[in-house]
Amino acid sequence: MDTLRWLSKYFKKYSILLIITIILTFGYVAFNYVHPIIIGKIVDLIQNMVETASFQIDKNQLLIYSAVILGAIIGKEACFYIKGCINEHISQNIVMQIRCELFARLEALDCRFFEKNKTGDILSRLTSDIDSVKAVLTGTVPQIVQSLSFFVIGFGIVISVSPILAIALFAVSPLVAYFAIVLGKKLKPTFIGQREAISELNSVAQENIDGNKVVKAYAREEFETEKFQKSNENYYNKHMHFVYTWVKYYPRLTFSVNLTNVVFILVGGYLTLTGHATVGQYATVNGILWCIVSPMQLLGTLLNQIQQASASTIKLRKLYDATPDIRNHKVLKRDTAIEGKITFKNVTFSYEKDRVLKSINFTANPGDTVAIIGPTGSGKSSIVNLISRFYDPREGTVYIDDINIKNIDLNTVRKSVAIAMQDIFLFSDTIANNIAYGIPTATREDIIKVAKDADAHEFISKLPDGYDTIVGERGVGLSGGQRQRISLARALLKNPSILILDDTTSAVDMETEFSIQQTLENNYKNKTTIIIAHRISSVKNADLILVMNGGHLIEWGNHNQLLNQNGYYKHVYDSQFGDFTNTGTIDVDYPNFNSFKMGGTK
Amino acid sequence: MARNKFDVDEKLKSEINFSQIKRLWSYIVKFKKSLYLAIVLMLINSVLNLLPPYLTAMVIDVCLPNKDFNLLYMLAGGIVVSEILIWINTGARAKVINKVGMGLVRDLRYDVYNHMQYLPLSYFDSRPHGKILIRVVNYINAIAHLFSDGIVDIVANLFTIVVIIVFMLFMDVKLTLVCLLAIPIFIIFILLLKSKHRKAWQTLSAKQSNLTAYISENISGMKVTQSFAREEKNYETFDSLCRENKKYWMKARYIEFAIPVTVNILSVVTVLAIYLIGASRIGTHTLTLGVLIAFASYVTRFWTPISTLANYYNQVVTCSAYIERIFETLDEPLVITDLEDATDLPEMKGNVEFDNVTFTYEEGEPNVLENVSFSVKAGESIALVGPTGAGKSTIINLLSRFYDIQGGKILIDGHDIKHATLKSLRTQMGVMLQDSFLFSGTIKENIRYGKLDATDEEIIKAAKTVCAHDFIMAMPQGYDTMINERGSSLSVGQRQLIAFARTLLSNPKILILDEATSSIDTETEILLQKGLHELLKGRTSFIVAHRLSTIKQCDCIMHIANKNISERGTHEELLEKKGAYYDLYQAQFKFLNID
Repeated sequence: MDTLRWLSKYFKKYSILLIITIILTFGYVAFNYVHPIIIGKIVDLIQNMVETASFQIDKNQLLIYSAVILGAIIGKEACFYIKGCINEHISQNIVMQIRCELFARLEALDCRFFEKNKTGDILSRLTSDIDSVKAVLTGTVPQIVQSLSFFVIGFGIVISVSPILAIALFAVSPLVAYFAIVLGKKLKPTFIGQREAISELNSVAQENIDGNKVVKAYAREEFETEKFQKSNENYYNKHMHFVYTWVKYYPRLTFSVNLTNVVFILVGGYLTLTGHATVGQYATVNGILWCIVSPMQLLGTLLNQIQQASASTIKLRKLYDATPDIRNHKVLKRDTAIEGKITFKNVTFSYEKDRVLKSINFTANPGDTVAIIGPTGSGKSSIVNLISRFYDPREGTVYIDDINIKNIDLNTVRKSVAIAMQDIFLFSDTIANNIAYGIPTATREDIIKVAKDADAHEFISKLPDGYDTIVGERGVGLSGGQRQRISLARALLKNPSILILDDTTSAVDMETEFSIQQTLENNYKNKTTIIIAHRISSVKNADLILVMNGGHLIEWGNHNQLLNQNGYYKHVYDSQFGDFTNTGTIDVDYPNFNSFKMGGTK
Repeated sequence: MARNKFDVDEKLKSEINFSQIKRLWSYIVKFKKSLYLAIVLMLINSVLNLLPPYLTAMVIDVCLPNKDFNLLYMLAGGIVVSEILIWINTGARAKVINKVGMGLVRDLRYDVYNHMQYLPLSYFDSRPHGKILIRVVNYINAIAHLFSDGIVDIVANLFTIVVIIVFMLFMDVKLTLVCLLAIPIFIIFILLLKSKHRKAWQTLSAKQSNLTAYISENISGMKVTQSFAREEKNYETFDSLCRENKKYWMKARYIEFAIPVTVNILSVVTVLAIYLIGASRIGTHTLTLGVLIAFASYVTRFWTPISTLANYYNQVVTCSAYIERIFETLDEPLVITDLEDATDLPEMKGNVEFDNVTFTYEEGEPNVLENVSFSVKAGESIALVGPTGAGKSTIINLLSRFYDIQGGKILIDGHDIKHATLKSLRTQMGVMLQDSFLFSGTIKENIRYGKLDATDEEIIKAAKTVCAHDFIMAMPQGYDTMINERGSSLSVGQRQLIAFARTLLSNPKILILDEATSSIDTETEILLQKGLHELLKGRTSFIVAHRLSTIKQCDCIMHIANKNISERGTHEELLEKKGAYYDLYQAQFKFLNID
């Protein structure tokens, strides 16, 4: 019932259309009575003809009757058709509204939500769960209205004919209600089970499709099919579980409903036989009984549909109610664009329990280039995640232009910060559209310009459809280096105040990397740039180099200062430099990096 | 490669045809017995359902006028008994029918999914993944009813129609013919609508697929959307996709609604016609009123099953749009598959030979590789260098036979890989891909993917070799730590290390590292190289990398450019040659500004 209440708020907009459908329903029912009545008249006419033995039928009368019948059936079917279309129109609009609202909701949710929920699960919400709500809207709701009106009218007639018989009929209702409640209760978990099984199917299949190359590389096709078959069987079992539950409880309900007939025969018959009611009254009530019984018979099916939808709406509403941690909070109004000063003050951060950043302090002035270097998992990408406010720090504060980032409009932050992420995600769309992702209105010239800056123009032009080449999901069809450059172009096009390059050129050859660097230094001088990289060549020109290890900032300064410090940075430099001095051997004296670990991993 | 995207409808390769229906039938045949049982139960049910109204009528007709209390109780008892029988019958039928419907769904889904596993990479690469997903899950779910309750209904209703026609024929042949005249009219009407009707559902199914593709891709790429503050624009796109879905849904329904309307109108018109003809025949004494009334009531009953069948027809049209897509997937050629004469590769030694290999990703497009020949002895390590897009990854893809070549031969230990079974080829080959894809599950499960029966010790050993052990142990649950889809909770470098461990565990004779360590820091890389050096012993390895430290220790370096190998030799040889590799090498000095 919660479900219906939740849905009812969507109906408000359509009150006029709803009234029209109710009128049409009445019209439909009324027209429905015309044709049996007229047929009756025709029969009378024929009977009359037979009885008077005239065998002359009143042709005019017959013509009129035929016209009335045809008119009535056309009127009736017109009511039916228009009513159906309006119903469909309303419910489709509501479904569309719910779907769009949910999508907007999703767009507002933060990274934590997407980490905790599988893509296949979320997808199920927006597809099959909404579809099951759609089924209720198009089928169940109109049915409920119709059944209810039949029931009320029927009962009204019975009361007016014989209150005693009405009471007799009413005696069964607690039993019916009881079984209905039991059925509803028992069905609900089975539907929830089914919804979850569908989500699981989606998740398993979705992951398999995404990872199809790995599956092939390891020849794990059989293993994958077996894995999926478990979910497939699970869905079958969950459905059969529903069927068994339904088989157990539904016929009881129908039986108790049909018991109404028996009770009526016994009580009504007894009352009639003992003279408390007339045979005529009995016959009238008997004739009207279906008005009461058939809506109750539908009860089981309706409950079925409602519970099915409610299993879905529970999930939908959960998504509705999910609130992002990252949202606007006491936003300060400001007119000027972000200049790009970044300050980390005592920033500590964790994704789960373990702290991945510990008391980080640094300042980058507008136009500075800051490089971050350090081992895998040392917290480099986490710093970047905080600057674009994908997460909030646990302790300490991140400032942009000396304002707490939490007090800057989220949209402004995201528009001023551009990241070329380590984990590149391209959409299955044209290359031009991918580059223009941040600025959909960008002209082709703009796109080509940034593509040139990212050293991507040359290879894009060589592709068969150039900038209109469609890439596969996540950029399939392009090499790692090509994807990185498109992702860079996409970030550059945003013309941000702060540009973040997270391992953006790792898969690009050195020559290309060098030329990209040169371009960035020349054309994007005024932007605060954060570079995460492993190659000394990528970081050595930075104004400030931060060396991360185990979540700590262990060294900082410019290239020369760090070399003089003779620490981690120097050792990395030596080992990369070693490539060139010890030509032909790999037995360089590797530095003992473990001495630089500051107990950060524990 | 021609690729599809979210806002482009996929073209349908072949419309539903007889052979598809025949194949569907083969799924149904498996449940033949259950279906028969369901039909029998259905027929029993229709008889049982006649009892209560009959008994109820007797109360008024016999019991009340005669003031017979005993009969009243007996009739009530009779109704109770028949209701109990209906109860039993309903339950049994529901079980049987659902077993058929869901069983069919399960079997069909299994086959589609299994087939999908063997489809070539190009199938997955050429369309958004949501469009594949919707076929495996939603489309198949949608057809469940058609083949369970649907078939039973159809049989029961056809049976009813036949019985009624027989009754009508017995009563009056001419009137029966008048009544049956409406059927061809109805069929003509349906045929006239058919193409529009089918088209509407076909378009809708394509639109549904577009929407699913958009949603699924956007969930995966939400971080990008948010970082580019593109929420509003995406919302607009989503909204227009929803609108399009609604538009075509309405279109389909407008047509669909017309069918029951026609049935109802025809039914009333035939009844009327029967009366009109009947009246004149009574006039000529060739018919009695009693027969006419009885006949008319049969005509009404005759149309009830037909309207059920018409509803079923609507369902069939809807489902055809899905069935076509399901079979399209099932009929998708495997392309890369075991040849008839394929044999298992014997245990690999690791000799690899490319003999005049020519390759293009798609017929008609320029070749990516032309007449490439080289041979590698077992145990050698080969580095592939060259500009991006030159074909390094292509050579590697060809080795695992992800694609078939247009000319030449690829031989492993003298066996043409085209004539080897894919499984024996790929299980002996360890490929570490550029994009280190991890599955959701524990770290242990992910590493075990390389060797399904690996012990925990073997897994830990592999992780230690690739220097992943330390960071794994630092995680809250160690090897049992759950990772997200694609391993998104790990850094890219960590993902690469786990993927590396997974590859090693499979103990391949040929190891392929495609930019496998690009995101790993220098520290780990150096440690890794030490382990790797040991590891490469006794294995043939192909390495694509940009770091010269990784490359220069290889036995042979091949520089790929202009669709072929432009230079090959050891590090020293190539330096002496002063060619492309030399330039590449020198560039590093330049970039480091080492004077």
